[in-house]
Amino acid sequence: MKWSNVQLIFLREVRDQLRDRRTLFTIAVLPIFLYPLLGMIFIQVSQFTRQYPAQIHVVGAEQLPMAPQLLDGERFSAELFDFADESNLLEVTPYPGLDGPVGDELTAMVEQSVRDGECDAVLIVPATFGQQLAEFRQKLARKSLRRDQASDIIRQIPGPKIVYDQARDESRVARDRLSRVLQLWREKMGHTYLAENQIPLAVARPFLAEETDVAPEAKKRAAIWSKVLPFVVLIWALTGAFYPAIDLCAGEKERGTLETLLCSPAQRSEIVWGKLLTIMLFSMVTSLLNLLSMGLTAGMMMRQLQAFQKIVTDMPLGLPPLSSLAWLLVALVPISALFSALSLALAALARSAKEGQYYLMPLLLVTMPLMVLPSLPSVQLDPGTSLIPVTGLMLMLRALMESDYSAAALYALPVLAVTGACCLLAIRWAVDQFNNESVLFRESEQFESRAWLRHLVRDRGDTPTVGQAMLCALFILLLRFFISSQFSLPADWTGLATLTVLTQVAFFAIPALLMAGMLTRKPGETLLLRTPRWFSLPAAVLLAVLLHPAAISLSMLIQQTYPLPEQIEQISRTLLSGAPNLWVLILVIAVVPGICEELAFRGFILSGLRHLGHRWWAIVLSSIFFGVAHGIVQQSITATVLGVVIGYLAVQSSSLFVCILFHVTHNSLAILSQEFLQQYAQRLPGSDWLLETSEVGIVYTWPVVTVTLVMALGVLQWFRHLPQQLYAEERLQEALSHQTARATT
Amino acid sequence: MIQVSELTKTYSDLRRGQFVAVDRISFHAMQGEIFGLLGPNGAGKTTVLRILSTILRPSAGSATVNGYDVLTEPALVRHQIGFVSANTAVYDRMTAWELVEYFGRLYGIERSLLRERMENLFERLKMNDIRDLLGSKMSTGMKQKVSIARALVHDPPVLIFDEATAGLDVLVGRALLDTISELRNQGKCIIFSTHIMREVERLCDQIAVMHRGHVLSAGTLHELIEQHEEDDMEELFFRLISDYDTRHELASVER
Repeated sequence: MKWSNVQLIFLREVRDQLRDRRTLFTIAVLPIFLYPLLGMIFIQVSQFTRQYPAQIHVVGAEQLPMAPQLLDGERFSAELFDFADESNLLEVTPYPGLDGPVGDELTAMVEQSVRDGECDAVLIVPATFGQQLAEFRQKLARKSLRRDQASDIIRQIPGPKIVYDQARDESRVARDRLSRVLQLWREKMGHTYLAENQIPLAVARPFLAEETDVAPEAKKRAAIWSKVLPFVVLIWALTGAFYPAIDLCAGEKERGTLETLLCSPAQRSEIVWGKLLTIMLFSMVTSLLNLLSMGLTAGMMMRQLQAFQKIVTDMPLGLPPLSSLAWLLVALVPISALFSALSLALAALARSAKEGQYYLMPLLLVTMPLMVLPSLPSVQLDPGTSLIPVTGLMLMLRALMESDYSAAALYALPVLAVTGACCLLAIRWAVDQFNNESVLFRESEQFESRAWLRHLVRDRGDTPTVGQAMLCALFILLLRFFISSQFSLPADWTGLATLTVLTQVAFFAIPALLMAGMLTRKPGETLLLRTPRWFSLPAAVLLAVLLHPAAISLSMLIQQTYPLPEQIEQISRTLLSGAPNLWVLILVIAVVPGICEELAFRGFILSGLRHLGHRWWAIVLSSIFFGVAHGIVQQSITATVLGVVIGYLAVQSSSLFVCILFHVTHNSLAILSQEFLQQYAQRLPGSDWLLETSEVGIVYTWPVVTVTLVMALGVLQWFRHLPQQLYAEERLQEALSHQTARATT
Repeated sequence: MIQVSELTKTYSDLRRGQFVAVDRISFHAMQGEIFGLLGPNGAGKTTVLRILSTILRPSAGSATVNGYDVLTEPALVRHQIGFVSANTAVYDRMTAWELVEYFGRLYGIERSLLRERMENLFERLKMNDIRDLLGSKMSTGMKQKVSIARALVHDPPVLIFDEATAGLDVLVGRALLDTISELRNQGKCIIFSTHIMREVERLCDQIAVMHRGHVLSAGTLHELIEQHEEDDMEELFFRLISDYDTRHELASVER
């Protein structure tokens, strides 16, 4: 790849976009005018809106006690409001109470009137309310009541009733205002009684809690902005990436210039990188302009609102601190890169700009939950969330903006690794799309499900396609998560063993076998069911043994950094110790998974992915699926790493038996070491320099790990020299890379 | 210059299954020679030329351009060819000068040489009046000129014209044919596809008649006329094609 070509393409695309009025409008004009306009409209509208007074009917107004006063003509007494002018918000129509038994008839009538909307709420004062309160007050004053009598009397006085309609907004507002008034009235009444009995008011409030806010102003602002800004930045980074991407790929296809570019000497990867950088630039600029315009508008509006309405608030308003903004800018680069690469790949798939627009919705639907997830209060940076694309990045950005650097540093590696991997995968996908002539020259075809099914079977290849492999992987993952969430975790050994075997067979082996049988002409070749060179079998066992210390160290390291939930660890330990004997344990935990998982991940999925033409991409991708299928984050990381090793063995030896043997040996060693190292560690000769005890268990010492690792590399080197069977796509890619070398020399 | 042997291209089609667009065709074209691919619409001409320009990959067989393999050395092949087709449009938001310069620089031509060559090309193709015109404002003829300038800017030994005269008026079409024959005289190897007999008669040194992915007959104009004892080219073309179709139908009935 020549960077001068990338630069050339980049500059051309940027100029092209800048000459396009639509692009300029969406990225520059829209944000500059949108927010001030919205702000203006908001301020205008807020000047016209006012709060409408609620209509309250008071039935039995004459029954109200005289002091403290509740009603003052057609208003509630002004003393019963936090702010005097709020009394205008409740308009009162007093009605006399009905004589005689105040019963269901009155209630029914009142309820009907509220339901009909004649008034917003009704306050029913019981017939003897005022009288009973007055009597109580006299008794209190005479001090003729025992302590328990007072409470009894109060309990017997029937309280006023509020009738309202939950389904109507006005009625709900009226209810809230009314109950606040009644609450203050009751408090006032209590205070009057206390005063009459010469009890100081302070008795009712023996203490006041004092609050001290230690957050400095800047940090308070950072905390608020860190919840708002990342979201804004992400949304605009995505939008800003998507429209140029459509124009640069689907638009170019539509205008017929793509073929012109493809027959130029620029390589596909140069074209993709040039376009990607353009899209990234526009994504970042859009995001920044929106941020700037929004910030300025918000600042101005706040000042204006404060001047107009004298809002009293403890919300620290003002611009976010500089450090937050700086982190935002830093994070914008990977965010834009990820979204640009995704948009580019999707846009390359589209035949026309119109078709491209359709892909925005699914993209938003997938990324939106990932963006919203971090704003949920319970979601924090942890081993799980840090591995979720977008979400992890957003959480880390929030931590950085709140200057929580220790959390950010702890998860920086996984977050950046996941983001980087996603970016690379998306770019790879985009390059592959540009290499894929069936994508570039796709013609609209009438889709018919029967014809398609027939086509699947009739035109099936010897091994599965990349799409079929991906489908299989996604199918397996979905099966695994949705169906296994239906089962409760078994409490005993038999239950666990049955569940493990069933899951393995039903979720991994059967889908792979079925798909290989139906979708390929050579299921045996697909699943790598070939006799290996005999000495590769012992080599696989040796490799597993040599990698064992490193694997143990890795999983211990992961457990130390991101501890397993206590519960899971406990369950797995008790269940494992419940096995009738070691052989059954190895059969269930090592042999069955070894066979079933290999059939799926190194059999069907890897064989399909190899049609990508890049062995390592296929290996890494299949191991990521393998890792994710393990479910528990801590296990997934180790599984992904091991998946790469097994994938390599699969490619080099072309035999699944080698993979199965490695997998079974590895799992068995893990079980055996758990069982025996604890018991015999002390008695083993030379155990001092072989083993050491760490916080989470017994591990091998670093010299052992290093030596075995070096020896393992030696074995891998041996595998490297095995004659391998390359796919046609892989041979082509190899030839193409030679060509690049020839062209540059 | 161009060697094509047993070249095959198949597409998978939802309804028809594997659809063979080009079926084991072989031919070769030499330096200083115009090779004409003559065939009705859908004969597979565009597919062959797209394979030669490395935009499509062959399903089987091989093709080399100036010694470079189209499958394994596409980037090197692209340096050897200039490709003009109805599908290679010009950019709407670029002027003629910018577009030719852009492609020239993608070929890695040094700036001063590029400038010299471009002045020369614009002069020769009489494009100086549209130098600063945006692609969106150009007529079909102007666009075709820009495409030709784009294909010639790196002075390639091989030129591929796919239905290059389609949509052009008589004047521009004639000028284009003149340019092509001039290029032959400069020693270029030219492949030229069309469905218009007159152009073939006027221009081509070698002719291959294509239909349904097959080469029905090939040779110089003279050889074709002798071989089929028919001196009217249009009649000859029509006969070749209808004969093939009849044989094809018979075969499918027998089956």
